[in-house]
Amino acid sequence: MPRPEPQFITFSIDGREVQAPANEMLVDAAKRGDVEIPVFCYEPKLGAPVGACRMCLVDIEGIPKLQTGCSTPVKDGMVVHTQTKRVKDAQESVLEFLLINHPLDCPVCDKGGECPLQDVSFGWGGGKTRFIEPKRHFKKPLELSPLVAIDRERCILCYRCVRFSQELSEDYQLVLHERGAATFVGTFDGHPYVAPFSGNIIELCPVGALTSRPYRFRARPWDIENSGSVCTLCPAQCNVAFTVRDDRVLRVMARDNDEVDDGWLCDKGRFAYQSVHAEQRIVAPMVRDGGVLREVPWARAIEEATLALKKSGGRVAGLAGGATTNEEGFLLQRLVRDVHGSPHVDSSAGLPRAGLLAMGDPALQATVADLEFAHTVLVLGTEPVDDMPIVDLRLRKGVRRNRMTLAVATSRPSSLDPNAVLSVRYAPGAEAAFVAALSAAFYGGDVDTPARAAGTDAGAVAELAALLRTSGGDEAGDVVVLYGERVLAGGEAVTQPLLKLAGALGLSGRAGAGLLGIPAATNGRGLREAGVVPDAGPGLAELATAGADAAGIAASLTAGDTTVLYLMHTDPLRDQPQRATWDRALDKATHVIAHAGFMTEGIREHATVVFPAESYAEKEGTIVHPDGRLQRLRPAIGRPAGVRAAWQVLDELMRAAGVDTGLHTVHSATRQLFESVPFYAGLTVDTLGGKGLRWWEDEARAAAWPEPAKPGLLATVASSTPTYEAAATPNGALRLGTFKSIWASPEVEASPALKFLHPTQRVELSPVDAERLGIRHGEHVTVGGDGASVAAVAHLRNESPAGSAFLQSGIPEGAANVLEGPLVEIRKAQST
Amino acid sequence: MPSTTDWHPGDDQVVVVRGPKPGGAGGAYRIFGETLRGLKTTFARVVEGTNTIAYPEEKVAVYPRFRGRHRLHRFEDTGLEKCVGCSLCAAACPADCIRVVAAENTPEHRVSAGERYASVYEINLSRCIFCGYCEVACPFDAITMGNDYEMSDYHRSDLIFTKEMLLAEPLERAPIRAEGE
Ligand code: SF4
Ligand code: SF4
Ligand code: SF4
Ligand code: SF4
Ligand code: FES
Repeated sequence: MPRPEPQFITFSIDGREVQAPANEMLVDAAKRGDVEIPVFCYEPKLGAPVGACRMCLVDIEGIPKLQTGCSTPVKDGMVVHTQTKRVKDAQESVLEFLLINHPLDCPVCDKGGECPLQDVSFGWGGGKTRFIEPKRHFKKPLELSPLVAIDRERCILCYRCVRFSQELSEDYQLVLHERGAATFVGTFDGHPYVAPFSGNIIELCPVGALTSRPYRFRARPWDIENSGSVCTLCPAQCNVAFTVRDDRVLRVMARDNDEVDDGWLCDKGRFAYQSVHAEQRIVAPMVRDGGVLREVPWARAIEEATLALKKSGGRVAGLAGGATTNEEGFLLQRLVRDVHGSPHVDSSAGLPRAGLLAMGDPALQATVADLEFAHTVLVLGTEPVDDMPIVDLRLRKGVRRNRMTLAVATSRPSSLDPNAVLSVRYAPGAEAAFVAALSAAFYGGDVDTPARAAGTDAGAVAELAALLRTSGGDEAGDVVVLYGERVLAGGEAVTQPLLKLAGALGLSGRAGAGLLGIPAATNGRGLREAGVVPDAGPGLAELATAGADAAGIAASLTAGDTTVLYLMHTDPLRDQPQRATWDRALDKATHVIAHAGFMTEGIREHATVVFPAESYAEKEGTIVHPDGRLQRLRPAIGRPAGVRAAWQVLDELMRAAGVDTGLHTVHSATRQLFESVPFYAGLTVDTLGGKGLRWWEDEARAAAWPEPAKPGLLATVASSTPTYEAAATPNGALRLGTFKSIWASPEVEASPALKFLHPTQRVELSPVDAERLGIRHGEHVTVGGDGASVAAVAHLRNESPAGSAFLQSGIPEGAANVLEGPLVEIRKAQST
Repeated sequence: MPSTTDWHPGDDQVVVVRGPKPGGAGGAYRIFGETLRGLKTTFARVVEGTNTIAYPEEKVAVYPRFRGRHRLHRFEDTGLEKCVGCSLCAAACPADCIRVVAAENTPEHRVSAGERYASVYEINLSRCIFCGYCEVACPFDAITMGNDYEMSDYHRSDLIFTKEMLLAEPLERAPIRAEGE
């Protein structure tokens, strides 16, 4: 459903004439006239009000009884009073009731000082109690989960946490047990509340009933400072506020920016801050000496790197990971291209320049908020909860509240299937064939052949096409295609039919509709725009010589054509497919210079110079959200003594090579970047502000997007015939699909609070295949193919398509990238 | 805006009455007359004898409510610390000289009666203004102002009193005035 247009009406509150959108709840409407109505259970983020606490009673003329302001929509000409004796008496009585069973142990309560119950009692309460009977008692404190502590005595039964679990994250775990005064919050089965978004209930709870275990008793609100920045642990780039005490990050809270995250955080973002102060963090430069990495002074590390780069004679390659900021990426490509004259830089964008330009065309962009208000959203080849968690909540919200129609097309069963009107499965790696089939279904072409090649059902594809075509009633409505950028690995074979589809749906230039790609890593989009791609410079400018992409760099290292690899916040053994190939390539490299925060396998075994990386709480710079929003990272704490900013290191390396970089601060790097990217023209860090801005929303900037992206391209694409490869036929073996869990990251590994979530290898397969292979759920198996194998635990999923097996990537040991696919065999593990 | 030169104060003008100009009879009076007037008081008290207190050998007794160096308290029966590390004293302190870092009690390691306790409790006495707000703020009477005022030291850092120092029985160096004294 498209966004509703608000219509303003006038009403009176406490004698003031106030304008507010019709049907806004009184509590919110009152704020427009600077009148505060106290609330507990009301939270607009949670959707429709429930009216559970009665704190918000107001007097409305013409209605004999007091009404709840949180659930009474404002009407034209309404006359509301919040200061009458009747209202005051009601507020005092409600508070007296709420406090009857409340322990009032504020001094030991973690909420003390930032507690709405304290504030409301102070502002609206009677200040006295007549209750002398014994209070209700519960055992406390208890663990609701390893991350959340629950104190049931303090609960005021506002339902917020339960509503979050039931209606927002839809994990359906939290419920209210018992009735009346004995009611208490818990999981329905008594098991710990473990869910990807569980931490949000800590922030939602208006009292100290739900508190964070890692933050427990660490500080009071007057001991801390809040520092706004952006979480860089996944592409969602949620806006956060770091709670800092004594220059240590103690907590991460959501910083409302509805256009980005709707005010929620996932548990990775909320708790993986612990990695900033983890012991295993690299905090001093290191150089490989006699086979082992040893800590050395900075001067020595810089000298070593300078020498290595110089000796390579330009045979250098640079690879940037997702945590790299635009500035770092920009300087990295300057170092490799301009200073050492090598064209090889990549950030695993996976597409050639023309493809990037076509897919990134400003006219085709959808925003995160569009997901919620579109008529139909097609989730293509991505699992939002793993790849960009916060979008999962947005999609659920769209379906639940705005009657958005959700369609899912993936190879692995999606957690959004229950919310989707239609879910289509295709074989892992057969995105090109699938998209070709879908596009053919639109243009009335041959659907059967590509559908068969994609290992999917032609009928389902046709149904999906029909759904998209009629999403807005009789015609195609606002459609957003949310795709994982990994599906673009097929190159033109995927982008062409996808663009054709976009053309058929009329997505180009349509507000509220378009494409939204989820990059494989946090700042994927920013790095591309800063020129960290093999065949395009900053601003995706055309280059005279195109370099090699990541796979090409590996080949070139193996062949000895490239001798020095510069790694920026990435470990190819973790982040790239084909682990064995990379292992060989890194082995062959004479020097591997790496900026790294943690000793992951590739760094430990292959790096020759390691520069300690800043953590995301220490970094300053800009990044780009998948929907084109430039956001600013601001340091919350100082760096550990041995750590230097990456831009500074790159600057020193360039100066050592005799180049005057003109850099003095990170802002001068930002300025250089904004100047060399035409579509960032006129931006400064100040214009980005605290909430960032989407550069393509400005017409002049959108027009600066380099050529072949003009609408004409859609037409030329539409006339060409797509090419695709058929998915491998299992033939007794299984097709290998991969997925990366939300918890697969070095930051999670380094956070003690998240220890219980570390992913271990599991292979997901359908019960049909399991039965054929004689494998039971939970059994240890080996998954093998092409001479390599990984150990895993069999995980049977009823929804899993027969003929495919799914393994995790991005984990430290036995990750999916050990196997090269496309077919694998699963055997029971030798009993140990 | 009228310029400052045409500003007329009108009736509000205060006329400053000055004393006699130095020199002449007025000057002589100032030197001798006023000095003698002061000395009159001095000589009148000579008969009372000396009243010097030989500090530090001898000390003035303070009133029981004299606000001196703080003390942290324990429960007499259980020996547990009264302080639960709530940081309210730190919030109340106008000099911002109290630092509290709380931690959680465990059955094996129980320090205070509540769920939390102060793992770090420091008062920077070189900054404290002895206002007693911390004592007022404390919900558990865990911190009180003692009577000791002898706190000079050679190093500023020695004036940061830790929890152990504040919990320790202080050397009662300051005598207290008895009732009605
Ligand atoms: S929830 Fe609020 S009012 Fe209740 S004990 Fe905690 S701080 Fe005090
Ligand atoms: S635990 Fe907190 S959020 Fe949940 S019902 Fe109780 S008071 Fe509300
Ligand atoms: S006496 Fe006053 S200044 Fe000194 S610690 Fe207490 S509150 Fe702070
Ligand atoms: S001394 Fe009192 S006010 Fe200060 S932290 Fe301890 S219990 Fe709280
Ligand atoms: S805020 Fe209105 S009933 Fe709770």
